[in-house]
Amino acid sequence: MASFLARAQWLAAVALTAATASAQVPPPVGADEFAQRRAAHWAWQPLREDGPPAAGHPVDAFVDHKLAAAGLRRAPPAPPHTQLRRLWFDLVGLPPTPAAVARFVADPSDAAWAREVDELLASVHHAERQARHWLDLVRYAETLGHEFDFEVPNAWRYRDYVIRACRDDVPFDQFLREHVAGDLLPVKRLGDGGADESVQATAAFWFVEQTHSPVDAGKHEADRVDNQIDVLGKAFLGLTIACARCHDHKFDAIRAADYYAFAGFVQSSRYVQAPLCPLDVQAAPFQRALSAQRQLAAAWAKAHGAAPEPTTAPLALRDGDRVVASAEDPTTGWFVVNDGFGPQPWRGPLCLDPAAAAPELRQLPGAFWHSAVAGRRREGTLSSPTFPLTARYVHVRAAGEHARLKVVVDGFHLVRAPIYGELHKGVGHPDAHWVTFDCGAWSGRQAFVQAIDQRAHDLADPERDRRAYPDEAWIAVQSVVLSPHAEPPPAAAEPPLPPHAWTEPPVAVAAALAALHDAEAALPVSPTLPAMADGSGRDVAVAVRGDHRRPGEPAPRRFLQALARDGAMATGPGSGRQQLADAMVTDGAPLVARVLVNRLWRQLFERGIVRSVDNLGALGDPPTHPELLDWLAADFLRHGWLQKRALRQLVTSATYRQDSARRADADASDPANLLLHRQNVQRLDAESVRDALLAISGRLDPTPFGPPIELAQETIIRARGRPERAGPIDGAGRRSIYLAVRRNFLPAMLLAFDLPTPFATVGMRNVSNVPAQSLTLANDPFVHEACARWANAVCADRALTGLEDRLAAAFTHAFARPPAADEVAACRDFLAGGGAVAWPDLLHGLVLAQEFLYLR
Amino acid sequence: MNGHDGSQPTRRAFLQRAWNGFAALPVCHLLAGGDGAGRGAQVRHHAPRAKSVIFLYMDGGPSGHDLFDYKPRLVAEHGKPFPLPKEPTQFNDAGDTLGPCAKFAQRGASGQWISDLLPQLAGQADRLCVVRSMVADFSEHTNANYFLHTGHGLQGRPGMGAWIAYGLGCEADDLPAYVVLNGGLIPPGGIDCFHSSFLPAHSQGSVFQMRGDAVANIAPRERDPQRQRRKLQFGRALDEAARRRQGPEPAIDAAVANAELAFRMQAAVPELTSLRGESPALQAMYGCDDGYEPTRTFGRQCLLARRLVERGVRFVQLTCADTRHDRWDQHGDLPRGLADNCRMVDRPIAALLADLDARGLLDETIVLWGGEFGRTPFAQGGSGRDHNPFGFTMWMAGGGFRAGHSHGATDDYGYKAVVDPVTVHDLHATILWQLGIDHERMTYRFGGRDLRLTDVYGTVQRSLLA
Repeated sequence: MASFLARAQWLAAVALTAATASAQVPPPVGADEFAQRRAAHWAWQPLREDGPPAAGHPVDAFVDHKLAAAGLRRAPPAPPHTQLRRLWFDLVGLPPTPAAVARFVADPSDAAWAREVDELLASVHHAERQARHWLDLVRYAETLGHEFDFEVPNAWRYRDYVIRACRDDVPFDQFLREHVAGDLLPVKRLGDGGADESVQATAAFWFVEQTHSPVDAGKHEADRVDNQIDVLGKAFLGLTIACARCHDHKFDAIRAADYYAFAGFVQSSRYVQAPLCPLDVQAAPFQRALSAQRQLAAAWAKAHGAAPEPTTAPLALRDGDRVVASAEDPTTGWFVVNDGFGPQPWRGPLCLDPAAAAPELRQLPGAFWHSAVAGRRREGTLSSPTFPLTARYVHVRAAGEHARLKVVVDGFHLVRAPIYGELHKGVGHPDAHWVTFDCGAWSGRQAFVQAIDQRAHDLADPERDRRAYPDEAWIAVQSVVLSPHAEPPPAAAEPPLPPHAWTEPPVAVAAALAALHDAEAALPVSPTLPAMADGSGRDVAVAVRGDHRRPGEPAPRRFLQALARDGAMATGPGSGRQQLADAMVTDGAPLVARVLVNRLWRQLFERGIVRSVDNLGALGDPPTHPELLDWLAADFLRHGWLQKRALRQLVTSATYRQDSARRADADASDPANLLLHRQNVQRLDAESVRDALLAISGRLDPTPFGPPIELAQETIIRARGRPERAGPIDGAGRRSIYLAVRRNFLPAMLLAFDLPTPFATVGMRNVSNVPAQSLTLANDPFVHEACARWANAVCADRALTGLEDRLAAAFTHAFARPPAADEVAACRDFLAGGGAVAWPDLLHGLVLAQEFLYLR
Repeated sequence: MNGHDGSQPTRRAFLQRAWNGFAALPVCHLLAGGDGAGRGAQVRHHAPRAKSVIFLYMDGGPSGHDLFDYKPRLVAEHGKPFPLPKEPTQFNDAGDTLGPCAKFAQRGASGQWISDLLPQLAGQADRLCVVRSMVADFSEHTNANYFLHTGHGLQGRPGMGAWIAYGLGCEADDLPAYVVLNGGLIPPGGIDCFHSSFLPAHSQGSVFQMRGDAVANIAPRERDPQRQRRKLQFGRALDEAARRRQGPEPAIDAAVANAELAFRMQAAVPELTSLRGESPALQAMYGCDDGYEPTRTFGRQCLLARRLVERGVRFVQLTCADTRHDRWDQHGDLPRGLADNCRMVDRPIAALLADLDARGLLDETIVLWGGEFGRTPFAQGGSGRDHNPFGFTMWMAGGGFRAGHSHGATDDYGYKAVVDPVTVHDLHATILWQLGIDHERMTYRFGGRDLRLTDVYGTVQRSLLA
């Protein structure tokens, strides 16, 4: 008992958070203890590659072996319709069609089963189903939560990315690499229309809840990074790395230095809206636009007899001024996202709008990173290197229209008033000018300057409610100066080229203008989505007791010490996430594979071989079938990390297809069914309940992909951040995965059936049992509408001749089986006494039966 | 194979079961295996002093300087530069010392300081245990709300109401254990403040609305009640048939039991929310006929809170009605905002305390009043106060808390708690203690940790207890 209490106290200590450190901090873990922990825990070990203990289906061989040892036998196969209903909901999240039921009941052979499995796995509905499981792991949401529930622009594109990845059975190692470093992979995976699929996975970093106007941005960053590491660690590695934020992990071979190594990867990276289809700025179409600009300048020079001289603009620096970034200085490590800014800074004249009534040629003084070098439609984000705010003022020399400049402090992107309003400024003048930020309140913090020309709003953009940014937006940036002086450095002495406009351009100039216009118009503009981009690479210091205000020793970026083959990692100048991804799929492969196949097992058998699917560490549950888990993981790795293959292997086992009925003898010796002497009964999950109602009533719109469907107005609670847009009560018949996921306004019907709140990795949802579920099924207008529609369809179907036919169809829809004789008789009586609403009421009665809600 | 045509009952038996009456089905044995709302985890570490909690949640952070925490120096130095160092605030326009906007007086035999803004409540001063030294960890509404409700500053942990519902269950068999009476404003952070998170879902706060139907989907849509009954009976008959074919399955049996609870709630909730049985005089005492709409709403909430604890509901939380001053979040125009907010809650709360006491319920009911933080003693802008988690006031009444008692103190300006500070974790620990729960021993395993409401903190504040 004493040891149990001690353990409980330590368990609680693991949850220690940063702010108040009155609790005891466990001592650092020494080398011996670390080695001992690593050696003692099963999940750190290589995969055992023992073959199955018998011939036949390998899964059955492993399971039967354990059953036999306990004197038990597997249950007989479930009735064909029960098997089929289970398979459909498990693989596609929808009820089997009556045609599928008829086909399989007529021929329940293994070959027919295999055919059914293959067809379902090939369906996009399978991808939707599989994607929803994954979204739970990355706490997928389309808003940031907190007070105003700001939108994450274009978050839904990530949801579609996951569906496509599942549809295309992207090997899981590739899927992982894309999540960790999709923006950095040397070879991008290209999808429909040549879109860069890889970068889209990195959006998963940005479904983290974020606070509007935190008093301490440093603490906000520490909490954000904690959640990002927590999700990364749990979803892919099944480890609670985030437990090591305040001290070495209490039980696992994970040190605080491991946590801060991960923090280094994340904090060396930045939030951006990245293009799905970036143009290659070195390729011909883009270069054609650049040379058209130069040819226009040449034509102008010829017409006027003098070439415009490219100017330079030395800054008149004062005491204490420090240039932290300059377009004139080739050694400045600027970070450019999207193609607006072109391959390098622009120097010389530029025509912003060749199609204008009076086209104009302008020149900024000196070299500028310019987002309109290939036309104003082009977009992009330009960031300076990270620098400490060692002086009070940041002066940025810029020009632009409808664009914005931000100073991002401690990685905090929700830059707006209150508190942060000073750090976010519009740029609305086409001549070079200084924009000054007073950063006195953030002295000593890490910061970078970001210039933004993009249609997608920033996170918490002050303008977001007012308007979209126009095509005409552009921004140009020359230098960033950190300074103790409130006034910017004096303007350079050399005057810039005065703007030159034509109302009647000479012929040669007109031709050059037309060529420029054509070249720019030929360049497509890409949609964007939230993504990771590299920033200045730096190691993060271990925070003493998790307190970000008390930095200790820097933790070099590297993979987990317990898994990494090499101690150090050559991270290069950027974040090093690509090297981390490599280590995760090589050194981490056995663990990653175990975690993944265990998740697939959980989807099909209700609980994982390791019950705590998100924690395979020392505090997780031990595996019930360790040999099987290792064999499945090794088999998964041997066959190319393919999920569909692994799923097929599991659902073709007799273990999966067995009956779920309880048997008194087996129940007595294996009460929790740990040995799988029968299948487990499962309640439908939230999405399946709603999707099944759509499917049986004929309302299901099977269209995949696209922007989210907003909730119906009357179902949205009154609170801050309430969405202004609303959708129809039936969600336009779209599958539940396409409903809007607003953190503070989740769909009530799905919540009633345990849709998880997206705050952390949820590999195993709650299966609750609350009155709200019964009230929903009994009284929700959506359910009533579905039953009425369903009744209409059944009664109007000319293929159904007579009552028995109709009843058979209805029961098959709802339960994948025809009614028994006594049920037919009961239905007759019900219909006889029911009047005009008899059919809708009868079908509603089927929905209210538990057989609708449970998979046997 | 146990197909559906196995051991077939006669049609007569099927129908007999079907028409036997939905509510008549035996459910007690079914509840035993499920996670129905009734039982909870039956946590009882020691003899409880109280049975239920009413949390009067003053969303936005009410100003103690103007209501409970009397500081003569604030009066004397009004308008002068604030002499203490200022912590960072939510807005960057911290100004001079701001005196209270109402007069203070000592009230009742206990002599507790309460301002003129709460005249009715002042009459109940001898019932209050006022903590003048609360501290919290967050300056931002949402984090502070999560922290006050769940003991953790981020989204996703169960609220104290959920923990208590989980630990103790509900004494009513037709109502949930944890009810939120929503006066109109859901606090920043949303319904996650009331969420059960990883705890079993029956411990989740059920939000009752004050307009229209109190509970989502509580009203049958069929105009003829017979119609719904027939459907439910039919569905239940199918369940019975399935149970005979396939044998009992605890999860499904528990779902049947829950459907029964839902059915009973359809009758119980309208009965609860109808005030027909309450005398006009009592309704008037609560302010249900007040000329000010927010007072009427909050009065009705307070009366419903009493009716809920009377029926055995474990945790009742009230959120404020909308006075159009952005909750208790007076960043500007403090005098007007405070006056209206006080007008909303003063009479109803005084009536609630008196009524609970008259019915012998106050002794076993903890009434808790307060917000997620307090406000600054210096001005924000001209006439507002910014957020201040460093020292603020909450009070408790009933449930074995010391009546007519003041605990702790802030500094001379009411800025920071300096004598006997009480943390949010301490508050949680103390409330659990009064309910018979040791906060260190009620844990729930999630994500590989045994989690609890108080994280690794909290001390039971015995000096607050009678």
